[in-house]
Amino acid sequence: MKRILALLMLTVLYSHSLFAIEESDISLFMQNNIDTATTLLRDKKMAKAEKSEKLFAIFDSIFDYTLMSQLALGGKQWAALSPSKQTEFTKLFEMKLKISYMEKLDLYTDEKIVIKNLEKIKDARIHLTTHLMKNSEVYEIIYKFYKDKQGSWMIYDVDILGVSIIQTYRTQFADILTKEPFEKLLEKLKQPNEPAQKKQ
Amino acid sequence: MRFILACLMSLSFLCASDYYIGTTSHSSDDFEAEFNSKNNENIFDPLSGYNEIMTSFNDKFYEYLLRPTAQGYAYVMPQMARNGVSNFFDNLFFPIRLVNNLLQLKFQNSLQETERFVLNSTMGILGFRDVAGEELKIKAHDEDFGQTLGYYGVGSGFHVVLPFFGPSNVRDIVGLTGDMWLNPITYMKGRGDANLVDNTGQALAATALYTINRTSLHVKEYDNFKKDAIELYPFLRNFYESRRDKLISE
Repeated sequence: MKRILALLMLTVLYSHSLFAIEESDISLFMQNNIDTATTLLRDKKMAKAEKSEKLFAIFDSIFDYTLMSQLALGGKQWAALSPSKQTEFTKLFEMKLKISYMEKLDLYTDEKIVIKNLEKIKDARIHLTTHLMKNSEVYEIIYKFYKDKQGSWMIYDVDILGVSIIQTYRTQFADILTKEPFEKLLEKLKQPNEPAQKKQ
Repeated sequence: MRFILACLMSLSFLCASDYYIGTTSHSSDDFEAEFNSKNNENIFDPLSGYNEIMTSFNDKFYEYLLRPTAQGYAYVMPQMARNGVSNFFDNLFFPIRLVNNLLQLKFQNSLQETERFVLNSTMGILGFRDVAGEELKIKAHDEDFGQTLGYYGVGSGFHVVLPFFGPSNVRDIVGLTGDMWLNPITYMKGRGDANLVDNTGQALAATALYTINRTSLHVKEYDNFKKDAIELYPFLRNFYESRRDKLISE
């Protein structure tokens, strides 16, 4: 009996504190994350698969992909989908985001990224402003956090140069869905590497 | 004991159900409002048909002409020289920035712009070196007439994709026309009387050089940026409009 009790106690306690990123830790936590990520990307010897696996592990702890998917699709569209479609969409969109973010970091490995400012917008919203310095130019990147049900701060959107990533996808998805069925959208998400060949 | 256990049990169930709701549907209208406020649904876009065609035209133009040219140019011109050319043009466009900073009553910025122009034109040898930025950390303050109009509350109007120029809107087209009168390239052969028709050849060549040079410095970034697009036209439209709003608010 006591054991069960202890176990229950533990689960109750842990469900709140496990992986929770506290407000005061965000700046330091993100600086560490960005530093680790760029160090990983700079490592020429590591295999690409291993690299992305390690990077994705870092991203996973701070990005709320489910919420991001939902926001990118829009509440109404999201609610109209069956749970299996929601999962399928989330998976594809998550991959798209991860690859895109990794490539962005990869492009700027030699540049310095510094954390400028942490601003509490509302009770459950924090904006973390970072600056990426390239030559004499400064690019502003804002990570938007929200406090999730477990009390942990998670990223739900990123602003690059004042452009919200989620908003960008939202307009595109809305545009596609006015013309084509949802299946087509999934198909389009599936081929993210198509322009990559052109790049060479 | 039983009681405590029951309490804990129900508590943990509460947590679990809470968590369950949390992951499956973040039904907070807060988020929806945040992204709806930017009004992307039912966006007024009367030219969308034309815009889409022009977007793919511009994209083809970039893919098959501008990028190869810029890459060839980059092959013969070392990076340092290209940075120099870029600085030279930026310095040349000083009147546009100065006037628009003044129109927006940004006097501190206007002063810094003037300092930059004087320093870079002399010590920076006709603007090829950005002495002010590198040594004295005086940054440029990019302002154009479109931003000035926005600053005084003029709405963006509908979105228009211009041939070669790319995404724009009604307000910024007016802005571009306004800035043309402040652009030294327009007056290249003018010698006192501004004759826009007379010097189109030279002005075009100068603009082409400027464009190719600028493109050569940003090929990698732009290609990477474009890779994020699923549907190019709404992607670029949203990027352009948000970016402009941000620039106006600064």
